[in-house]
Amino acid sequence: MNAANAIAPRKPASRSEQVRLRRIQDFALTLVLVLLVVAGGVLRGERFLNYENLKATVTQASAVGILAIGMTFIIATGGIDLSVGSVLAFAAIAGGKLAGGGDLAFIAAALLAGTAAGAANGIAVAYGKVVPFIVTLAMLTVARGTALWMSDKTPIPVGELETLRWFGAGQVLGVPVPAWVLLLVAAIGWVILNQTRYGRYVVAVGSNREAARIGGVRVQRVLLSVYAITGLCAGLSATLLTGRLASASPIAGNFYELDAIAAVVIGGTSLAGGKATVVGTVLGVLTFAVIFNLLTLLDMRIEIQQIVKGIIIFAAVLVQRKGA
Amino acid sequence: MLAHRRFLLTAFASFAIMGCDKAPAKGSPEGERVAATSPNATAAVTEEKSAPGKPVKVAFSAPGADHGWLAAIVKNAREEAKRLGDVTLEVSEGATDPASQASQIDALVAGKPDVLVVLPTDGQALTPAAQAAMRAHIPVVAVDRELASPSAYRTWIGGDNYGIGFSAGNYIAEQLNCKGNVVEIQGIAGISVTELRTKGFNDAIKRCNNGVQVVARQAANFLPDKGLEVMEAILQAQKKIDAVYTHDDDMAMGVVSAIQNAKRDKEMFVTGAGGSKRAMDLVKNGSLYRATFLYNPSMAASAIRLARLIGQGKGLRDLTEPEVPSRIQVPATAVTKENVNTFLTFGYE
Repeated sequence: MNAANAIAPRKPASRSEQVRLRRIQDFALTLVLVLLVVAGGVLRGERFLNYENLKATVTQASAVGILAIGMTFIIATGGIDLSVGSVLAFAAIAGGKLAGGGDLAFIAAALLAGTAAGAANGIAVAYGKVVPFIVTLAMLTVARGTALWMSDKTPIPVGELETLRWFGAGQVLGVPVPAWVLLLVAAIGWVILNQTRYGRYVVAVGSNREAARIGGVRVQRVLLSVYAITGLCAGLSATLLTGRLASASPIAGNFYELDAIAAVVIGGTSLAGGKATVVGTVLGVLTFAVIFNLLTLLDMRIEIQQIVKGIIIFAAVLVQRKGA
Repeated sequence: MLAHRRFLLTAFASFAIMGCDKAPAKGSPEGERVAATSPNATAAVTEEKSAPGKPVKVAFSAPGADHGWLAAIVKNAREEAKRLGDVTLEVSEGATDPASQASQIDALVAGKPDVLVVLPTDGQALTPAAQAAMRAHIPVVAVDRELASPSAYRTWIGGDNYGIGFSAGNYIAEQLNCKGNVVEIQGIAGISVTELRTKGFNDAIKRCNNGVQVVARQAANFLPDKGLEVMEAILQAQKKIDAVYTHDDDMAMGVVSAIQNAKRDKEMFVTGAGGSKRAMDLVKNGSLYRATFLYNPSMAASAIRLARLIGQGKGLRDLTEPEVPSRIQVPATAVTKENVNTFLTFGYE
């Protein structure tokens, strides 16, 4: 609580100001989402506006969404993780290698491998004092290389693992399991960030590291933990994606890191650190998922999709700057 | 078991090159190599005749193998070189763009190999590097993608991208009696492989006079997870799909998962391209995955054999010419339930 006291009074006005800005951003992004949904309804009618399609869209958002929630914590500390997509593939292959041991062996191995890779990032950042960009760039290639090496560049089929398949393709109460998991992770992320002392420490580390240290925050531990958490998220994502795909692929998760970072940033979390919103991140992820879904429903060519996506990223950030 | 498969593979590769068999000629060691059209007989003979001739130093430059097909290309080349006792092979892989591959080729050429085998990331951009090798009197064997000028290579061996699209189009048109909705899942947008596989398909279904409609056409970058995502969305968009034409077997595995997850596997069928082991297993056992069209990485093994012949100054024994032809195209054969047993051992991992 020392830390919170040390940080909070630093800029007394900024706190309420920040909350207000965050509201504007969430509002702007929700507006974008609503506009997209309306556009979808007009252009594609009930092919777009139906429960099945909603389920598919949220399922698609799940893999990147879970990565993005972990990423929110890292970016809140002023860091970045470029390795999440590769770590996802590494975790999937680690699980696939042990798939002979059954569903639990797969899931345990994937979660463990993801966490280990994330923790390695965290140790290098927190104790090695290497810039996160470089650490995770190195991990990006190491994890991808390890995944390709371990799998001999071949996907590992896991179709017979029924629990795993259920994770990716099953439903509970008419809602796809990946959607539940995304929701759960988002809820946990929100509670940790907004309702716990640890969450305040994370933001404090990103907002002013020295002040946090003086205030008694164990900065290195916090840094290590956010990377490890994100690694765990990558392991979880790997489990869901592999379940959906019925196969552990060493080339899965390519460029997911960029999608995750983009979602976090358009959600309103500041790349400079010290300001984070899990709700914004989820909105950001859903925005991308809806764009992808809608443009694919419209059978728009990939180049048009890329341009539209880029414009929306830019526009969202522009709106935020206006707000600030 | 593995060795056995590799022999068959070689046999097919040779068979594909030779077309058909003629009387032995020239009395060279190559003369006896492919003494019969039966794959098994060929395999046996091949094994005996891999006795070393004049040693040939081959350098192979390949793009970074981050995909099943490319991985199999490099694997096949290495294994073929090992099998042929008289070839020493140096492989440079990992180039991700034309510039890095060009410097790779420069480095390989500096090592003065007898023959250079290149699978270019971009045929146009790597033409100067290949020309430099040719000027240094190192013959170039181009694999899969074409180099822009005849002065850049001695021989080209590759598959038939247009043929894959055309065969798939014909197959689907036939299966659907020229009437139905088709989804096309492409590879990477903006490369010639994709354009040709799409053009061939379009040309083939023209004969149906719009009876076969491509209702959705999306790129999934040859990636299984992307194939899954794209197909999931398309399944939402399209109420009635009769067939899915995919540009790649690996990517198609994601498409298959999406269809199965949506429990719509009775409604449609899927075709692939390449000829992977998994795809062939599915073709053999299932009804969803109905065909794949060969674009087999065995062409890399054949390329190593061609490099060896060029290095030793020999021709193909079943042709009258005393030297290796300048262009060899492997056919995009349709592998279906009817003939899959013939090709099963030929599938790549």
